[in-house]
Amino acid sequence: MNPDDPKLTAYALGELSEEEAIEFERILAQDKGLREAVDEIRETADTVLTALGGEVASALTSEQEEQIITTAIEGEAGANAGANAEAEAKIVRVPFYRNATYLSMAAAAVMLLSILGALTVFNDIRKADEIARNNKKSVYIVDTPTNAGVDLTKPPPSPLPEAVEVARVESQVEAVVDFDFDSASPGEAVTVTAGGGNASVPEAVAVAKISLAGDISSDETAISPGFDIGGTEIDELRGSYDLDDAEGLINGAENIAILANTVNDESLGVVLDGNLSSVPEQEIVIDLDGGGRRRSEKDSGSLSSIKLDSYRKQARNSDEGRYSFGEIQEFASDSLNVVTNSGVVTTAFPILPPESPPPYPMPTPVPGGEFNTEVYDSIVDNPFLMVERIPLSTFSIDVDTAAYANIRRFLTANQRPPKDAVRIEELVNYFPYEYALPEENEHPLKINVEAASAPWQAEHRLVRVALKGKEIDWEERAASNVVFLLDVSGSMNSPNKLPLVKRSMELLTRKFGQRDRVAIVTYAGQSQVALPSTTADNTETVLHAIRNLNSGGSTHASAGIEDAYKIAEKHFIKGGNNRVILCTDGDFNVGVTNRGKLVDIIEAKAKKGIFLTILGFGMGNYKDSTLEELSNKGNGNYGYIDSLREARKVFVEQVAGTMMTIAKDVKIQVEFNPAKVQAYRLIGYENRHLEAQDFNDDKKDAGEIGAGHTVTAFYEVVPTGIEWEAPGIDPLKYQKPAVKPRVTGSEEMLTVKLRYKQPEADTSSYLDLAFVDSGKGFEEATEDFRFAAGVAAFGMVLRDSPFKGTSAFAMVRSIAENAQGKNRGGYRSEFLYLIDQAEMVTQ
Amino acid sequence: MNARQLDKPENTRMSDETPDDRQQWIRALLERHGSSLTRYARTFTGDWESARDAVQETFLRLCREDTSKISDHPTPWLYRVCRSRALDYLRKEEPMTPVENSQLALEAAPESSPSARLEKSEAVGSVLEIMEALPANQKEVVRLKFQSELSYKEIAEVTGLTVSNVGYLLHVALKFIRKQIRGEGELLPESQGET
Repeated sequence: MNPDDPKLTAYALGELSEEEAIEFERILAQDKGLREAVDEIRETADTVLTALGGEVASALTSEQEEQIITTAIEGEAGANAGANAEAEAKIVRVPFYRNATYLSMAAAAVMLLSILGALTVFNDIRKADEIARNNKKSVYIVDTPTNAGVDLTKPPPSPLPEAVEVARVESQVEAVVDFDFDSASPGEAVTVTAGGGNASVPEAVAVAKISLAGDISSDETAISPGFDIGGTEIDELRGSYDLDDAEGLINGAENIAILANTVNDESLGVVLDGNLSSVPEQEIVIDLDGGGRRRSEKDSGSLSSIKLDSYRKQARNSDEGRYSFGEIQEFASDSLNVVTNSGVVTTAFPILPPESPPPYPMPTPVPGGEFNTEVYDSIVDNPFLMVERIPLSTFSIDVDTAAYANIRRFLTANQRPPKDAVRIEELVNYFPYEYALPEENEHPLKINVEAASAPWQAEHRLVRVALKGKEIDWEERAASNVVFLLDVSGSMNSPNKLPLVKRSMELLTRKFGQRDRVAIVTYAGQSQVALPSTTADNTETVLHAIRNLNSGGSTHASAGIEDAYKIAEKHFIKGGNNRVILCTDGDFNVGVTNRGKLVDIIEAKAKKGIFLTILGFGMGNYKDSTLEELSNKGNGNYGYIDSLREARKVFVEQVAGTMMTIAKDVKIQVEFNPAKVQAYRLIGYENRHLEAQDFNDDKKDAGEIGAGHTVTAFYEVVPTGIEWEAPGIDPLKYQKPAVKPRVTGSEEMLTVKLRYKQPEADTSSYLDLAFVDSGKGFEEATEDFRFAAGVAAFGMVLRDSPFKGTSAFAMVRSIAENAQGKNRGGYRSEFLYLIDQAEMVTQ
Repeated sequence: MNARQLDKPENTRMSDETPDDRQQWIRALLERHGSSLTRYARTFTGDWESARDAVQETFLRLCREDTSKISDHPTPWLYRVCRSRALDYLRKEEPMTPVENSQLALEAAPESSPSARLEKSEAVGSVLEIMEALPANQKEVVRLKFQSELSYKEIAEVTGLTVSNVGYLLHVALKFIRKQIRGEGELLPESQGET
């Protein structure tokens, strides 16, 4: 054997089979030269190994990993079916913007399709102007896709190329552009931009679809098909380019630009659909700032959450052909669904088959209740109480909204939520209402009372007692000292848990500034400080710490809670927002899983002015009851985050309310006038009941209210003068039915009394409001009243409450439809969808 | 360390697939191979960004694949797919700037003392420099063998070469590197005249 035989190397590297190796060693034993050769090879191999081993590797970004894991989970539902596996050709890499040249090359014609209608025209013009300035070229605006023509508010200086046609318009909120380059003038630079924005619809999603076809041969032709959102309030942008038919299209093109100007980087989703492999050499540009600020590739860190593969929005088909959907799920897909402004949703792509994963995390299926370990405390509906016997109704406020997000999760997954998961007050309080603000310099709260006949029992009066907390301008808020306490145990290891937690934290961190401090404590087996308290203007440091969080181990919450409070105390800001934010699925499963002990710790710290916010994530072993109790004891609030959208509601839209407590231990006591009221029933707030004497007892803990928060409570009131019998109660043996209650001559129906403490006070303040019922019918009530009443009725139907009267989903639907108000945030329209879902799953 | 004692990455096997298993399996593969796949992809793409993209796509494809066919040999599968993704990019992108040796050397993992680091980076630099002179197919095989620690058979699967071809390329490459380190013979045609 000569020293050049590759077998030597194979042997040295251990690649020979056992038999071969034995035989080879026999030869080696007799040949010193070969032995030396083998040694040399090994030596070289070691050197190479060291050299190459030292070379840096780079892990995927956490977003990329997230997406893979999401897909891994999503995958087995459909992917095992086999054939649909070949989506890979549709994933196209989109390098980030590298230089500033593309705009100068682009654009003779810009079509700005305002997806969401006329409201966007202003923005579009502004944007168009900007593009025009940059390009020193003319700009066209093609307004609303509904009429899809040239907007005369900005007359085009020269006609649009005939080739540009807005071929397909499927709905008011979707822009579809088919553009055939074959008929474009040779050598003409063309920019196709579709976009839109609607400042008054923050939850709106803009969708534009551009199909490009044809061939551009001229080198001078630049194409910048792009999406341009002018409205800064647009929350989601979905764009799709279908390039399948664009054979050779890109060859002559300098680049493809995707322009977007969104309020939130994370919410940008771009789909490039089609096969680009045959058309190399173009550069695809993503410029999140539209024609404005440039981002170099190096800055792309802040853009890394863009999913370039694709987005899919789930859509569900209701009976009436109305589509709706929930939160975006990020997973690879070759389809893009859609959109809405006012929540009437359409889809640009085929409706997904019903077996598709739901937009919200799917609750664990419950085969015989085996796997579902979600825990809810049972709720018994408040009964009617006779005013003669119990004239005072006392309860603690509750601004939590977790129950709504939680039942949404169930309904979206086509499951009926457990009755005890339906806490009506949390459903009602989920929605923003426009109650009058407190007057300046007075109390931080204002009481509003309104009454009308109950829609489910016309003879009864429905009385709404509402509170509105003063609003605090986020910019003028007190400094924050926030400690995130994160459950990173194994049970958090699913996409709708830890990754969602991380995104939520990012959202909040971005709202903070230099005055604010952020720390992160994780717990899983043992607790660990992942980020010492750091001022929030160190964005990179904080975000880096967030992104590096991983799950693993089991949960030992109490140690983590102690550590978190320790840090919060150390950096306590007097007069500021000192808060521990616990993010968990509530699965405290190691060590002292002693609810009592946790409560003790939390209560003690709450007294020192450190508030507790609990955010529930995930499902399956979601311990609703534990979480709610802990947050109540911790002077805190409790939310359930089922989606990025919900995270945005809590941490962006309503961040002041979440972070800034304006009053604590808020208690309501209502005294009913027996001259006007026979009996009453508080709808919801079952677990917030207080004894009458607790109202004036400042030691009794009660609910907190955040800046701008509203609290709404309904009483169903049986007025005097109608036949009514307390159900199930025998006539009293020792008392005669009161002949005539000894009443004052007051016309008042009731008085609402309120006690609260300033955030750092130990003694309570008091205010009250007397109310005279004007006898309005339900239809005369305000929109807010009717909508909230509809939500309450919805809760009762869902709970199958014995007091639901004539309530039914159809009734709820008609109430809600006619009380959409401004539909701020799109929540009211989403509610319509949930009604339909509820009707479907309860059939 | 002796090359022969290299731990071969054992193939995580998957059987009786449940959704959870599958997710765990993919997660484990991601953890185990994510970084080295990225490093490998970068040798084609020249930049980390597209390398990461290639790896992401590889895993996304894995998610969609019928895993029963892959489950007993995921490593070569991953490398093979990743390779073709990376090559796709290469075709699409503008002619890439080759990764500079000096750049690689600079990025070498820091060692304990400054002097050790310097020495190391010089040594690393020289080996990497030498490797740069290898033909592309040898370079790749060397990386797959010593960086990704694949077996001949796996390398063959990834690259589409035959096993004996892989063995040959490695043998020749190592021999070349050895000679270069020792300052023996100049095998490079273009450098032959210079010295």
